Amino acid sequence: MSPTPVSPARSNRGSHCGRISVIATHAFTQLVRMKVFYFLAVFAVIVIGSNFFDLPQHVGPEAAGTNVLNSIKSWSIGTMSLFSVVFAIVATALLLPKDVEDRTLYTILAKPVPRIDYLAGKLLGVLLLVFVSLALMDVLMTVVLQIRTSMILSGQMEMAHSRGWPAAEIASLRADILRQGPNASLQGAVWAVFLRASIMASLALLISTFSTSTLFTSITSFLIYFIGYFQADARDIFLESGTAGTGWVARTVSLFVSLVLPDFHLFNVIDAVIQGQAMPLIRLWELTGIGLFYAVFYVLASWFIFAEKEF
Amino acid sequence: MADATPAVEICGLVKDFKTSFRRQMLRAVAGVSIRIEPGEVYGLIGPNGSGKSTTMKALLGLVAPTAGTCAIFGQDSLRVDSRREVGFLPENPYFYKHLSGAETLRFYGRLCGMRGPVLADRVSELLALVDLESARDRRLGGYSKGMLQRIGLAQALVQDPRLLILDEPTAGVDPIGSRQIRDLIFKLRERGITVFLCSHLLEQVQEVCDHVGIIFQGKMVKEGRLEDLIAIEDQTEIVLRDASPELVAQITALVANSPEAALVRTGKPRTTLERLFLRETLRDDP
Amino acid sequence: MKRWRRPLIVFLAALLAGAVRMPFEAALTGELRAEGLLPGHLPIGTLDKIGQTGAVVALGGLRTLVATFFNLRAFTFFTECRWDDVADTYDVIVELAPQTIYYWEAGAAHQAYNASSYYLNDSDLPPLRREAAWRAAVQKGRAFLERGIRNNPGNPKLNAYLGYLLTDGKKSRAFRDADATYLAAAEAYKIAAESPEALPFFRRFQLYALARVASREAEALALARQLYQASSNRTPTLQCVYFALEVHANPSLIDPVSFALSIFGPPEKAYVTLSNYWLRGGERLPVHGVARALKSLETKLAIPADKSVFVRHPVQEGEDE
Repeated sequence: MSPTPVSPARSNRGSHCGRISVIATHAFTQLVRMKVFYFLAVFAVIVIGSNFFDLPQHVGPEAAGTNVLNSIKSWSIGTMSLFSVVFAIVATALLLPKDVEDRTLYTILAKPVPRIDYLAGKLLGVLLLVFVSLALMDVLMTVVLQIRTSMILSGQMEMAHSRGWPAAEIASLRADILRQGPNASLQGAVWAVFLRASIMASLALLISTFSTSTLFTSITSFLIYFIGYFQADARDIFLESGTAGTGWVARTVSLFVSLVLPDFHLFNVIDAVIQGQAMPLIRLWELTGIGLFYAVFYVLASWFIFAEKEF
Repeated sequence: MADATPAVEICGLVKDFKTSFRRQMLRAVAGVSIRIEPGEVYGLIGPNGSGKSTTMKALLGLVAPTAGTCAIFGQDSLRVDSRREVGFLPENPYFYKHLSGAETLRFYGRLCGMRGPVLADRVSELLALVDLESARDRRLGGYSKGMLQRIGLAQALVQDPRLLILDEPTAGVDPIGSRQIRDLIFKLRERGITVFLCSHLLEQVQEVCDHVGIIFQGKMVKEGRLEDLIAIEDQTEIVLRDASPELVAQITALVANSPEAALVRTGKPRTTLERLFLRETLRDDP
Repeated sequence: MKRWRRPLIVFLAALLAGAVRMPFEAALTGELRAEGLLPGHLPIGTLDKIGQTGAVVALGGLRTLVATFFNLRAFTFFTECRWDDVADTYDVIVELAPQTIYYWEAGAAHQAYNASSYYLNDSDLPPLRREAAWRAAVQKGRAFLERGIRNNPGNPKLNAYLGYLLTDGKKSRAFRDADATYLAAAEAYKIAAESPEALPFFRRFQLYALARVASREAEALALARQLYQASSNRTPTLQCVYFALEVHANPSLIDPVSFALSIFGPPEKAYVTLSNYWLRGGERLPVHGVARALKSLETKLAIPADKSVFVRHPVQEGEDE
């Protein structure tokens, strides 16, 4: 038996990034082939339908039409929020159990693939899909918003000119309308939606490492999502009402809850941006930093549990 | 020029599983030791639930041993690097149905760090080896069981490993497919690849393996070279073709004259049902 | 218990991570609140009103969406003339979306204009009750607008709208102390005028409101003089107010007619402008010297007595100075 020469196939050791990107793109295509993008058609209907939530004006002609822009924005971003969170949770929750059930997990782990690469790859695949979907929805929303803003703007300019408004007033009106239209802060709000979905996906990943059921993982993740919102409000309401002695246990519990669970309250900036507030870039960075912190922590925690899991 | 390092070295492997009753542990493997030299084809046989799959999984790092060690070419199984040299085909695998044959191999190849033209060549080479070139672009969802096993074998070989671990490679496969898989294993043996398989289809193990271990209730009860184990030591077999009755009578007389030997039986040997099946079905192939 | 060890470690690590990130999150929350990017907590009462699904959506992140729904509901109540429901709904809407100026304007308009008019004209109330209901509705609208200003201090639109409401001649009898009301209007217009998005007429309207307050004529005159500097400000109203305030400040030194001519230009133009101004007598704008100037101009322009402006609006007591 002659010694086998080292074949070119075996000489390349591969890299973490390489393996993670393989698994991520694979998870992405797997999810896409589940016909997820059909949802975008529903979204398109919602965005275009939100155009019609236009009330007759009873305030003043200057307010005419900008309220529908508010409506378009809140419908679109509301749908994006809902979709991204639901999808992030459910997609992540089903990926691991599916691999275990189909035994394809064995074939992957039997290759020289570290378990963290596997987890990170699956998560990134989900995040990629959420990102692409949000990007497409964002484009659609921005286009519809831009069209509607232009229509309102031209209508209002016509009205203002025909009534002989002075230039300063016309400029102010124009600035007011444009501020309600698409702008950079609105994109920041969409990014905040993505960050929130990313946190939920990584949390679902953690839960799926010790739960074996997609349903359980999904439900627990949704519960945590809602508690994460309630806890900020409920905790403050509770503390403000200030019952001294009896609140001790509940206060400790809520303290634990607020430490362990993510604080989604920060992402309510989305509301303010829809109402026309500007979000400075530095805040966006800070939010991204916090989102990254959560995601990395949950992935590492997932790895910690997944590493000793037996199949 | 044989490698001094054994391909597989399992020393005193013990694996306990927790059952639903807290106190009781199920001992799936109770002190198994296996040593496979490079180039051997080793068959691990035993009834269902005897610990075959668990032993393989321990070797692959899918489960952690309660006691004992497993090593592949000298590297501990719990280390990711030990799997560079191993290809694994699990029992009844379902690969990703939405991928085609070529895409599946490309996926696993890239997981092992291969890319570019090296990977493309390797994929073509493997598809030719397992005779699936005609189905390379068909989705795995449309493959038959035999084809799935073959693509599984190709996937296990993608990074050109020196050790191949096969868990029930011919389970549920029709005789033609089984024959193809066995031929492949022979081809691999010729290339010097070590094969470690487990099965409960004993006839097939008998055809392929040169070493065998019998495992029962988590313990090795018999182990050794196949020829040594199954030879009915005190009997010899001679099979003749176109022998005249006179020749048979002469041989019978010779035996009768020998002091120790005794004639056990004469008659027509039986073919196996498998050979009959293959003869009939393969003849119809164009 | 080895199986529980790893999840327990994860839990403890999560606690630790939580403790680490708390200060950052608290700091960021503070910064965001200061920039008006993060709304405060919803009071419990609002949560009740929104109902459970709404609460979930609102807490889950999209209060503006829930506000949009409630806006539709408010519109339905409006078409049905259910004014209490309209008011309640707008209370909820502004809790959810306090920075959307439109909702404050709409809520105030519904009460101060629509509801009040309804009570006065269309409702089945007896006459005494009608007037009281009208007044209550107007005051409710004012209060709502003021609340909106507290939530969005310095906003020019809301402040200007408040000023408009308080100087609206048809609404003036709803507010008790006329002087205080006009002062409040002037203050509102002043704040509106100071905003970078202010429209030019805010300053002028601040002047008009101030000029209506009996004790503040000196201040008004200073403002009038300042505004008069810029020719873009010299609208007919401003010119008349400036004229009246100057005459009031210097009653003996200035001949009203020649002063009028210096402001307005040709006598015909002066007459027309001052006549129009005179006919707006119900608005309590200052009219010092206007009657005298008009009489002189009528003589000068030989306007017949039956076409005199005083036929339509005779000089009241104390108006002629």
